[in-house]
Amino acid sequence: MLSDVITPDLFAAALRIATPLALAAIGGTICERSGIVNIALEGIMLFGAFFGTATVLATGSPWLGVIVAVLAGVIVSAIHATASINLRTDQVVSGTAINLLALGVTGFLMELWYGHPGTTEPIRTLQPVFHFTASGEGVLNEIWRWINGVFLSHTPIVYATIVIALATHWAMYHTRWGLRLRALGEHPRAVETAGVSVARGRWVAVLMSGALGGLAGANLSIEQVGVFQENFTNGRGFIALAANIFGRWTPIGSYLASLLFGFADALQIKLQPFRDVVDIPPQFFYMLPYVLTVVVVAGVMGRAIGPAAVGVPYEKE
Amino acid sequence: MPVLELRDVTKVFPGVVANDKVSFTLEEREIVALLGENGAGKSTLMNIVYGLLSADHGEILVDGEPVKIRSSRQAIDLGIGMVHQHFMLIEPLTVTENIVLGREPGRFGVIDIGTARKRVAEISERYGLRIDPDARISDLEVGLQQRVEILKALYQGARVLILDEPTAVLTPQEVRELFAVVRSLVDEGLSVVFITHKLEEVMAVADRIVVMRDGAVVGQTRPSETDEVGLARMMVGRDVVLRIDKKPVACGETVLEVRELVVKSDRGLDAVGGVSFQVCGGEVVAVAGVGGNGQTELVEAIVGLRKPVSGSIALKGNDITHASARSSIEVGVSHVPEDRHRRGLILQFNIAENLLLGDHRVAPYARHGVIKLREVISMARKRIEDYDIRTPSEKVLGSSLSGGNQQKVVIARELGRNPELLVAAQPTRGLDVGAIEFVHRQVLAEREAGKAVLLISLELEEVLSLADRILVMYEGRIVKEFAADEADAETLGFYMTGGGGTKLEATPPEASPAGAGVGE
Ligand SMILES: Nc1ncnc2c1ncn2[C@@H]1O[C@H](COP(=O)(O)OP(=O)(O)OP(=O)(O)O)[C@@H](O)[C@H]1O
Ligand SMILES: [Mg+2]
Repeated sequence: MLSDVITPDLFAAALRIATPLALAAIGGTICERSGIVNIALEGIMLFGAFFGTATVLATGSPWLGVIVAVLAGVIVSAIHATASINLRTDQVVSGTAINLLALGVTGFLMELWYGHPGTTEPIRTLQPVFHFTASGEGVLNEIWRWINGVFLSHTPIVYATIVIALATHWAMYHTRWGLRLRALGEHPRAVETAGVSVARGRWVAVLMSGALGGLAGANLSIEQVGVFQENFTNGRGFIALAANIFGRWTPIGSYLASLLFGFADALQIKLQPFRDVVDIPPQFFYMLPYVLTVVVVAGVMGRAIGPAAVGVPYEKE
Repeated sequence: MPVLELRDVTKVFPGVVANDKVSFTLEEREIVALLGENGAGKSTLMNIVYGLLSADHGEILVDGEPVKIRSSRQAIDLGIGMVHQHFMLIEPLTVTENIVLGREPGRFGVIDIGTARKRVAEISERYGLRIDPDARISDLEVGLQQRVEILKALYQGARVLILDEPTAVLTPQEVRELFAVVRSLVDEGLSVVFITHKLEEVMAVADRIVVMRDGAVVGQTRPSETDEVGLARMMVGRDVVLRIDKKPVACGETVLEVRELVVKSDRGLDAVGGVSFQVCGGEVVAVAGVGGNGQTELVEAIVGLRKPVSGSIALKGNDITHASARSSIEVGVSHVPEDRHRRGLILQFNIAENLLLGDHRVAPYARHGVIKLREVISMARKRIEDYDIRTPSEKVLGSSLSGGNQQKVVIARELGRNPELLVAAQPTRGLDVGAIEFVHRQVLAEREAGKAVLLISLELEEVLSLADRILVMYEGRIVKEFAADEADAETLGFYMTGGGGTKLEATPPEASPAGAGVGE
């Protein structure tokens, strides 16, 4: 039984499921480091997934879909930036509004463009980058089967996400952008007195998180599922924020935390066939990743200290 | 030609004219002291020069050229640097990161941290401002944090340096070092504007003195043409008593009793290493010491903000060793914290709400968990009046008050509660001479009403004029105890810097305080 569960595709699934979470979580990290809470990531992902899918349906090009998904994320996050940076509204309110808007607008456009609610027609998806085969007997072949299965079976955005995690992490600690970003969320006024524009730095961060949220949506629809469904994201944006906290507001931390959630979810899926054996309702399994979120966040919250000025609107005078 | 000139600068905030046609000049290599009561408009004026606020009217000239300064970036580019009243440092970042922020060396957006560190080292070498470039700000003492602020301005290439109350947080020794630095900066060609409330500093360091009151410049003078009393009169518009005589008060029952108290610092070291003392009703006991010798942790343990490792604390015979901050307030302990921004106020709350904090559960301000706004507002108005908090209304946010007026809000709240024990850490930090006189009178009034006062202060003047008994703290221990009339600044300074050795001197706690037993 164990060998049925612990297989290469369990870990491959963990990586796959972690990808949209990690993208959104890194977006959340960047945004919160600048001092802006972005609970709109859920809605941004949904917008990205929808417009990405719609583009592929219209043009047949998955890559064009990815680009449009990212742009959609950027545009929607601009609403959040305007509201929270320029108008200084409460960032949670603005984020919630975008989440509700995302549900409404995508549902409405489904009806308008495709004439029905629910799910779109299947689209052309992005295919795995590599196509190696693994067969034969022996230890070496077995190792190769694992490497190929776990690491070499993925679609482009899965790999891009790992690169993004490493690159943003490095940039956060070695570049001008990173230093200013880390300073912004702690003490914006100090940044201002050092001659750096607070509003501009925060705008850049919010738009970046929008791009990453959009890309997460593209991964879900154009790489993983191949359709768009209403409320497709299903709380992933919020789990991503938990991953950001668990990852201590760092990109690599966010990635690893997402991997943990991804693994829990993959395991849950793997265990589904056994539920007849132990007679547990399926909801119990669906619940696992969310329970893990609650436990993890509650468990580390006391020790995890976020940016000092996060969520506080900054007023120049 | 002056390096900096302001002409008729006016700035109006809702309900307040913070600057009223202010004209001001600063010559090259000059040190000008800007003096004035709390809320006179000094910080506002300098924030306008630094581009943080924009003037409603008026002109700014740099090197004789009219300029518009709309952001700090422009001010920095014009060679203006400022050390703010409340530091502008990012605590989790390192010294180097804070200094280079905004002008990071490097190419293609990648910071060359090696070069950055080298430049910081060069500047700190050149001006004798020694610092560890890799230390985190949160690990540094205020004196060093201020050094970072000055280095930051120098790194940015300041020719005009504005220091807004730089000495409020410094020990006398650090003040002397700062003055030496300021003089060497002037030798290097800089010009300095120096805001302070400490008149002896003005006399010591300034070339010229500009006095503001109610937003306007009311006079100019030079140290050679005046003295401290004259300056105080110019500032406040009346005669100020710089040192108040205190009446003898009999020592009542023991209010605070601390026994063998051991408290750890945030870094897990023994910050307070077995301290015992008592404070009785009608007595002011001062803890003197150089900052960072355990005073902060001692205070936090007494007021319930930090758990002691061992030992006991009792208030009027009741054990409060493990009391929470809430129950500590309930049994009658008031606390004026040393850092008004971190522990004293909620800047986003208005004055009335800040005055209510801690009493928000009790009658007459609350009933059944609902706050009675009318009571709160009338209390707030009364305290604003009594404590001379300069503000147009009780609805003004804490963040909009001048530094000194923020301090007055904290004092008003803590004294207004009518406590059994007042624990006051740096209660007059940032206050003008008039306000200091007022607070000192209030502290002595508590004493005369038979209350106990534990005063923690870096100001030896303050310690000497208020205390009945002085405990000198060094490296977490009480190394010496004085009756007020036995002590002078010099001996205190000697023990504060470890002169007496670190062994606990066997001074029996019942040693009678000065003036005790001579009730009225
Ligand atoms: N952002 C603001 N909004 C509204 N009023 C303000 C603001 N900043 C300052 N004021 C008001 O302007 C006046 C001048 O304040 P300022 O901070 O310049 O005083 P100050 O001379 O520096 O006093 P202190 O010695 O206490 O620091 C005060 O009445 C203050 O309440
Ligand atoms: Mg001020």
